[in-house]
Amino acid sequence: MLDFSPTAEQEEIRRLAHSIAMEQLRPQARIAEQQASLSPTLAHIVAQTGLTTPYSEDYGGSGALEAITYVLIAEEFGYGDAGLALHILGAMLAPLTVALAGTPAQQAHYLPPFCREPAAHTGSLAFAEPIGGYTLADLSASAQRSGDAFLLQGTKRSVLHGQQADLRVVLVRIAGEPSQFAAFLLPEPCPGLLITPDEQKLGLLAAPSASYTFTDVLLPASALLGTPGSSAAVLRAYCLALLLRAGVQCGLSRAALEYAGEYAKERRAFGRPIVSYQGIAFPIAEIAMKLDGVRLLVWQAASAWDNDASSDYLVRECEAAHTQALKLAKSATIDAVQILGGAGFLQDHPVEMWMRAAASME
Amino acid sequence: MIKFTLSKAQAAYRDYQHQLALEEMRPISLLCDSQEEIPETFFWNMQRRLSAEALAPLHAQLAPEPRQSNLLSMLANEEMAWGDAALSTALPGPGLAAPPLLSQGTPEQQKRFFARYQDGQLHWGALALTEPGIGSDVAGMETTAVLDGDEWVLNGRKQYITNGARADLVIVFATIDKQLGRDGIRPFVVPKETPGMLVGRIEKKMGLRASQTAELLFEQCRIPRDHLLAGRETSKKAGFKAAMGTLDATRPMVGSLALGIARAAYELTCEWVKDELPLGYPAHKRRELLSELEELRQELEMARLLVWRAAWMADQRLPNSKEASMCKAYAGNLVMKVTASAVRITAPGQESERRRFLQKWFRDAKVFDIFEGTAQIQRLVIARRLFPEVDIP
Repeated sequence: MLDFSPTAEQEEIRRLAHSIAMEQLRPQARIAEQQASLSPTLAHIVAQTGLTTPYSEDYGGSGALEAITYVLIAEEFGYGDAGLALHILGAMLAPLTVALAGTPAQQAHYLPPFCREPAAHTGSLAFAEPIGGYTLADLSASAQRSGDAFLLQGTKRSVLHGQQADLRVVLVRIAGEPSQFAAFLLPEPCPGLLITPDEQKLGLLAAPSASYTFTDVLLPASALLGTPGSSAAVLRAYCLALLLRAGVQCGLSRAALEYAGEYAKERRAFGRPIVSYQGIAFPIAEIAMKLDGVRLLVWQAASAWDNDASSDYLVRECEAAHTQALKLAKSATIDAVQILGGAGFLQDHPVEMWMRAAASME
Repeated sequence: MIKFTLSKAQAAYRDYQHQLALEEMRPISLLCDSQEEIPETFFWNMQRRLSAEALAPLHAQLAPEPRQSNLLSMLANEEMAWGDAALSTALPGPGLAAPPLLSQGTPEQQKRFFARYQDGQLHWGALALTEPGIGSDVAGMETTAVLDGDEWVLNGRKQYITNGARADLVIVFATIDKQLGRDGIRPFVVPKETPGMLVGRIEKKMGLRASQTAELLFEQCRIPRDHLLAGRETSKKAGFKAAMGTLDATRPMVGSLALGIARAAYELTCEWVKDELPLGYPAHKRRELLSELEELRQELEMARLLVWRAAWMADQRLPNSKEASMCKAYAGNLVMKVTASAVRITAPGQESERRRFLQKWFRDAKVFDIFEGTAQIQRLVIARRLFPEVDIP
């Protein structure tokens, strides 16, 4: 039976995320962009909500995660500020992958610190690659079995917290085994791994990122998350990362839509508010319409995640959600700058920052 | 709780409609289009297979779920239009006459007028709103209704009336006082045999050729006084609201029909790429086609979710004017995009039945961005709902 409304509990969590977004993320976005990080106070406030520790209560977390709920949270955070949203959510991707794909021993070892002091730890999940975007088919970094060990080759890009993280996870193919994927924990130090921080970024400056180059990186079997053949669990982590990004992209589009709408109501030209002209009203209506469609697509994919859909279906739907949410975020933010006109080009308004942010999510 | 899966009974209902589309519509679709005519056997078959008795087992299964009638009609529409959109507009029954009867007719009027459709014979209904001089802006309506004793006298000309020449009842919108603008507009029920209602041109169209689009002329057309539908609301705006309320109800229907054609075109293009792609077609170009098709599939999903949401809101008795316009505008635009892509992608191929279908759907598609409010009107409705405090003319 169809239902298009979140539960009362989900609404409550969404309101909490919304208040963080409006009281904290939005006002601090510019400073975070300049400092390429978030303030320790903000990190503490976010940690206190319990939203960043969706891990088993056995390890001190706030309980297992529902994708639908986290997509709602991601949209609110993204509505506050996409850079800060990715900073916060990006730091969770490594422990989330451990929680989804790790053995009980790995979970017991790596998750408690994240639950105890979420503000003091960051993780990083490396999946996108220089060639291609966020689609599994483009993934070419690989791990070759070599006795009891694995030999990693390849490159990764746009790894959130790639340099700062104290828990690094990388997603690769298993060489010689078609459609088998695996996640590895990267030790510190990790000989053969070259980490290059992204500098002079176009957007999303509040979320530091880096590139990885693996040259004959030899990892022990214990670095493999889970057991050989836990490809489906690894793909669930990958899909979750896409869903969170898609949620942030929806929030970004919504921010642009509302900001441009409010501006167009106030700004007058030729004696009328500019939103009363169809040349302004129609593009705004267009964004609103597409955003509703995109959000429903994202919710549909998240609901498939929650219902343990098969890997093939889940990957297809999550990639679809990410593709469409990104496409809209890019066009909506560009349109928002256009609607603000000259004012949109200035840093007095956030829309130019959002336009750079959306383009940087490619 | 957010959930996008149909119940088993709803899926069974949809599958039943799909079988009808497959067995009754697709085999005669191309022929009906080229002859601009529908064989009577089609009407009888559909009437039988959509009768209350035929649907009884499905309805029994559906019964435990309350409030799903709008959703069910969306599911049916998508499948019907997947079969043939022109044929699906010609299904026997009250059709577009039903929404104004239901929203503006008194219980007595509803009983009396719907009784005509229950004698087991073939009957249709129609809605006459558009005129040569007016489309989306109904305020300038020229057709007049004047009360003369116990009868209303209608004069004027109505256009673009689906099933206009075969309808047993036509709901005609006319003004009782031109000075009142849209507040003077009222809906009237005109039965087929009424003297003074004449059938004018049957239009020749780019697409939906098997669908009958008629012109109706009213010359001193006299109907009984109680054929005015204004029973539910006595306020001045009742008539205009009936016209607009009809559109709120029919826009998601148009959206779901557009979605059905778009899905048909997507599916057939995928089959064409698999089976009929010319030899020697470069591999990289084939990959480009596949990724284009995947994007169209994603947009189809979005269109369906928007249609379902508008229907779900109507079933929940939530106001859905904005959402109705969104799904209609999105699907109306998408069906053109998908069918245009289909024609372009299959252009290098040999003449084949698949290509004939795709070209027909390309012709059928355009009107979905036009009738029941053009793409521009939908954006106007959405914008006005987004900014209720601003006057957007």
